[in-house]
Amino acid sequence: MEMKYFYWVIAASLLITVLAVLFVPGVDDFVEQTFQRYLGRAAN
Amino acid sequence: MRIVSRIFVVIVCLLSIPFMAVSTAALKQRFADGPNRVFSGGPLVAGDIHFGAEPDWSFVNPIPTIEMQLLDPPTSRRIWTVEYEGKVYVWSGYMGSIVGRMWKRWPIQAERNGKAIMRINGTRYERNLVRIQAGDELDGITAAITNKYPSQTTRSSVEQGDVWLFEAAPRNN
Repeated sequence: MEMKYFYWVIAASLLITVLAVLFVPGVDDFVEQTFQRYLGRAAN
Repeated sequence: MRIVSRIFVVIVCLLSIPFMAVSTAALKQRFADGPNRVFSGGPLVAGDIHFGAEPDWSFVNPIPTIEMQLLDPPTSRRIWTVEYEGKVYVWSGYMGSIVGRMWKRWPIQAERNGKAIMRINGTRYERNLVRIQAGDELDGITAAITNKYPSQTTRSSVEQGDVWLFEAAPRNN
Protein backbone atom coordinates (compact mmCIF):
# COMPACT_ATOMS: atom_id res chain seq x y z
CA MET A 1 0.00 0.00 0.00
CA GLU A 2 2.74 2.43 1.00
CA MET A 3 4.57 1.77 -2.29
CA LYS A 4 1.57 3.11 -4.14
CA TYR A 5 2.09 6.51 -2.50
CA PHE A 6 5.78 6.32 -3.23
CA TYR A 7 5.07 5.79 -6.93
CA TRP A 8 2.71 8.77 -6.92
CA VAL A 9 5.41 10.95 -5.34
CA ILE A 10 7.95 9.77 -7.94
CA ALA A 11 5.51 10.40 -10.81
CA ALA A 12 4.75 13.89 -9.50
CA SER A 13 8.46 14.59 -9.03
CA LEU A 14 9.19 13.51 -12.61
CA LEU A 15 6.44 15.76 -13.94
CA ILE A 16 7.63 18.72 -11.88
CA THR A 17 11.21 18.07 -13.00
CA VAL A 18 10.28 18.05 -16.68
CA LEU A 19 8.16 21.18 -16.40
CA ALA A 20 10.83 23.01 -14.38
CA VAL A 21 13.58 22.16 -16.89
CA LEU A 22 11.39 23.18 -19.80
CA PHE A 23 9.86 26.36 -18.47
CA VAL A 24 11.64 27.75 -15.39
CA PRO A 25 14.50 30.04 -16.51
CA GLY A 26 17.94 28.83 -15.47
CA VAL A 27 16.94 25.32 -14.43
CA ASP A 28 18.10 23.77 -17.72
CA ASP A 29 21.45 25.51 -17.36
CA PHE A 30 21.79 24.35 -13.76
CA VAL A 31 21.08 20.76 -14.83
CA GLU A 32 23.61 20.98 -17.67
CA GLN A 33 26.22 22.57 -15.41
CA THR A 34 25.75 19.85 -12.79
CA PHE A 35 25.93 17.14 -15.46
CA GLN A 36 29.12 18.72 -16.84
CA ARG A 37 30.66 18.69 -13.36
CA TYR A 38 29.95 14.98 -12.89
CA LEU A 39 31.08 14.23 -16.44
CA GLY A 40 34.37 16.03 -15.80
CA ARG A 41 34.86 14.17 -12.53
CA ALA A 42 34.20 10.83 -14.26
CA ALA A 43 36.64 11.67 -17.05
CA ASN A 44 39.46 12.49 -14.63
CA MET B 1 14.14 -11.16 -0.94
CA ARG B 2 11.15 -8.88 -1.16
CA ILE B 3 12.92 -6.12 0.74
CA VAL B 4 15.88 -6.33 -1.65
CA SER B 5 13.63 -5.92 -4.69
CA ARG B 6 11.87 -3.00 -3.02
CA ILE B 7 15.18 -1.27 -2.29
CA PHE B 8 16.13 -1.82 -5.93
CA VAL B 9 12.85 -0.30 -7.14
CA VAL B 10 13.25 2.69 -4.82
CA ILE B 11 16.80 3.34 -6.04
CA VAL B 12 15.74 3.09 -9.70
CA CYS B 13 12.81 5.42 -9.10
CA LEU B 14 14.98 7.99 -7.32
CA LEU B 15 17.63 7.83 -10.04
CA SER B 16 14.97 8.37 -12.68
CA ILE B 17 14.51 11.96 -11.48
CA PRO B 18 18.03 13.25 -12.31
CA PHE B 19 18.01 11.07 -15.43
CA MET B 20 14.80 12.75 -16.56
CA ALA B 21 16.20 16.19 -15.75
CA VAL B 22 19.32 15.57 -17.84
CA SER B 23 17.36 14.01 -20.71
CA THR B 24 14.88 16.90 -20.78
CA ALA B 25 17.66 19.51 -20.70
CA ALA B 26 19.51 17.72 -23.53
CA LEU B 27 16.34 17.50 -25.61
CA LYS B 28 15.49 21.14 -24.97
CA GLN B 29 18.96 22.22 -26.13
CA ARG B 30 18.41 20.46 -29.47
CA PHE B 31 15.78 23.08 -30.26
CA ALA B 32 17.94 26.02 -29.18
CA ASP B 33 20.07 28.30 -31.34
CA GLY B 34 23.38 26.57 -30.70
CA PRO B 35 24.84 24.62 -27.80
CA ASN B 36 25.14 25.79 -24.21
CA ARG B 37 27.74 23.71 -22.38
CA VAL B 38 27.93 19.97 -23.13
CA PHE B 39 24.64 19.15 -24.81
CA SER B 40 24.37 19.44 -28.60
CA GLY B 41 22.35 22.38 -29.79
CA GLY B 42 20.26 23.08 -32.83
CA PRO B 43 21.33 24.96 -35.96
CA LEU B 44 23.25 28.22 -35.53
CA VAL B 45 20.75 30.86 -36.58
CA ALA B 46 21.73 34.19 -35.06
CA GLY B 47 24.68 36.24 -36.21
CA ASP B 48 25.86 37.76 -39.46
CA ILE B 49 27.52 35.46 -41.99
CA HIS B 50 31.08 36.43 -42.83
CA PHE B 51 31.72 37.20 -46.51
CA GLY B 52 34.86 38.29 -48.27
CA ALA B 53 38.51 37.69 -47.54
CA GLU B 54 39.72 35.15 -45.05
CA PRO B 55 39.99 36.69 -41.58
CA ASP B 56 43.17 36.68 -39.55
CA TRP B 57 42.32 33.53 -37.60
CA SER B 58 44.77 34.32 -34.82
CA PHE B 59 41.83 36.06 -33.11
CA VAL B 60 40.56 32.60 -32.05
CA ASN B 61 43.62 31.84 -29.95
CA PRO B 62 42.43 33.65 -26.80
CA ILE B 63 38.90 32.23 -27.22
CA PRO B 64 38.39 29.03 -25.15
CA THR B 65 35.58 27.47 -27.19
CA ILE B 66 33.58 28.12 -30.33
CA GLU B 67 30.22 26.89 -31.58
CA MET B 68 30.28 24.60 -34.59
CA GLN B 69 27.38 23.18 -36.56
CA LEU B 70 27.46 20.58 -39.28
CA LEU B 71 25.03 21.00 -42.15
CA ASP B 72 24.27 17.28 -42.10
CA PRO B 73 23.01 16.63 -39.47
CA PRO B 74 22.19 20.22 -38.46
CA THR B 75 23.29 19.95 -34.85
CA SER B 76 25.85 22.11 -33.10
CA ARG B 77 28.34 21.63 -30.32
CA ARG B 78 30.88 23.68 -28.36
CA ILE B 79 34.45 22.71 -29.23
CA TRP B 80 38.05 23.73 -28.84
CA THR B 81 39.84 25.45 -31.69
CA VAL B 82 43.28 26.69 -32.54
CA GLU B 83 44.93 28.73 -35.26
CA TYR B 84 48.22 27.72 -36.80
CA GLU B 85 49.98 29.49 -39.67
CA GLY B 86 46.84 31.34 -40.75
CA LYS B 87 44.56 28.29 -40.74
CA VAL B 88 41.97 27.30 -38.17
CA TYR B 89 41.61 23.78 -36.81
CA VAL B 90 39.15 21.75 -34.76
CA TRP B 91 39.58 18.23 -33.44
CA SER B 92 38.09 15.45 -31.41
CA GLY B 93 39.87 13.12 -29.02
CA TYR B 94 38.93 9.67 -27.75
CA MET B 95 38.35 8.49 -31.33
CA GLY B 96 40.55 5.43 -30.91
CA SER B 97 38.09 3.74 -28.57
CA ILE B 98 34.66 2.29 -29.29
CA VAL B 99 33.14 4.34 -26.46
CA GLY B 100 34.72 7.50 -27.84
CA ARG B 101 33.38 6.87 -31.31
CA MET B 102 29.90 6.23 -29.91
CA TRP B 103 30.11 9.36 -27.77
CA LYS B 104 31.59 11.67 -30.42
CA ARG B 105 29.79 11.16 -33.68
CA TRP B 106 30.38 14.55 -35.25
CA PRO B 107 33.88 13.72 -36.55
CA ILE B 108 32.49 10.70 -38.44
CA GLN B 109 29.65 12.84 -39.78
CA ALA B 110 32.11 15.60 -40.71
CA GLU B 111 34.30 13.18 -42.62
CA ARG B 112 31.21 12.16 -44.62
CA ASN B 113 30.10 15.76 -45.26
CA GLY B 114 32.46 18.47 -44.07
CA LYS B 115 30.18 21.45 -44.64
CA ALA B 116 30.00 23.32 -41.36
CA ILE B 117 29.24 26.67 -39.79
CA MET B 118 31.33 28.09 -36.98
CA ARG B 119 30.00 30.91 -34.81
CA ILE B 120 32.70 32.95 -33.15
CA ASN B 121 32.02 36.20 -31.30
CA GLY B 122 28.54 36.27 -32.81
CA THR B 123 29.69 35.98 -36.44
CA ARG B 124 29.01 32.84 -38.48
CA TYR B 125 31.71 31.46 -40.78
CA GLU B 126 30.85 28.93 -43.48
CA ARG B 127 33.61 26.33 -43.59
CA ASN B 128 34.48 22.95 -45.00
CA LEU B 129 36.04 20.50 -42.56
CA VAL B 130 38.93 18.61 -44.11
CA ARG B 131 40.45 15.81 -42.06
CA ILE B 132 44.23 15.82 -41.71
CA GLN B 133 45.84 12.49 -40.83
CA ALA B 134 49.49 12.99 -41.77
CA GLY B 135 52.06 15.61 -42.67
CA ASP B 136 54.80 17.64 -41.09
CA GLU B 137 52.39 20.45 -40.22
CA LEU B 138 50.98 18.15 -37.51
CA ASP B 139 53.99 18.97 -35.32
CA GLY B 140 53.11 22.67 -35.34
CA ILE B 141 49.37 22.18 -35.03
CA THR B 142 49.61 19.79 -32.08
CA ALA B 143 52.13 22.10 -30.40
CA ALA B 144 49.64 24.96 -30.79
CA ILE B 145 46.94 22.73 -29.27
CA THR B 146 49.00 21.72 -26.24
CA ASN B 147 50.14 25.31 -25.72
CA LYS B 148 46.55 26.50 -25.58
CA TYR B 149 44.78 23.65 -23.79
CA PRO B 150 45.54 21.02 -21.13
CA SER B 151 45.63 18.46 -23.93
CA GLN B 152 47.99 15.59 -24.65
CA THR B 153 47.42 15.68 -28.39
CA THR B 154 50.53 14.64 -30.29
CA ARG B 155 51.42 14.07 -33.91
CA SER B 156 51.37 10.30 -33.38
CA SER B 157 47.92 10.43 -31.71
CA VAL B 158 46.59 12.12 -34.84
CA GLU B 159 48.39 9.71 -37.16
CA GLN B 160 47.11 6.71 -35.17
CA GLY B 161 43.52 7.96 -35.30
CA ASP B 162 43.11 8.61 -31.56
CA VAL B 163 42.57 12.27 -32.38
CA TRP B 164 40.65 13.32 -35.47
CA LEU B 165 41.96 16.68 -36.66
CA PHE B 166 40.17 18.86 -39.18
CA GLU B 167 41.18 22.03 -40.94
CA ALA B 168 38.17 24.34 -41.13
CA ALA B 169 38.94 25.35 -44.70
CA PRO B 170 37.07 27.98 -46.70
CA ARG B 171 33.95 26.72 -48.39
CA ASN B 172 33.97 27.29 -52.11
CA ASN B 173 30.26 26.89 -52.89
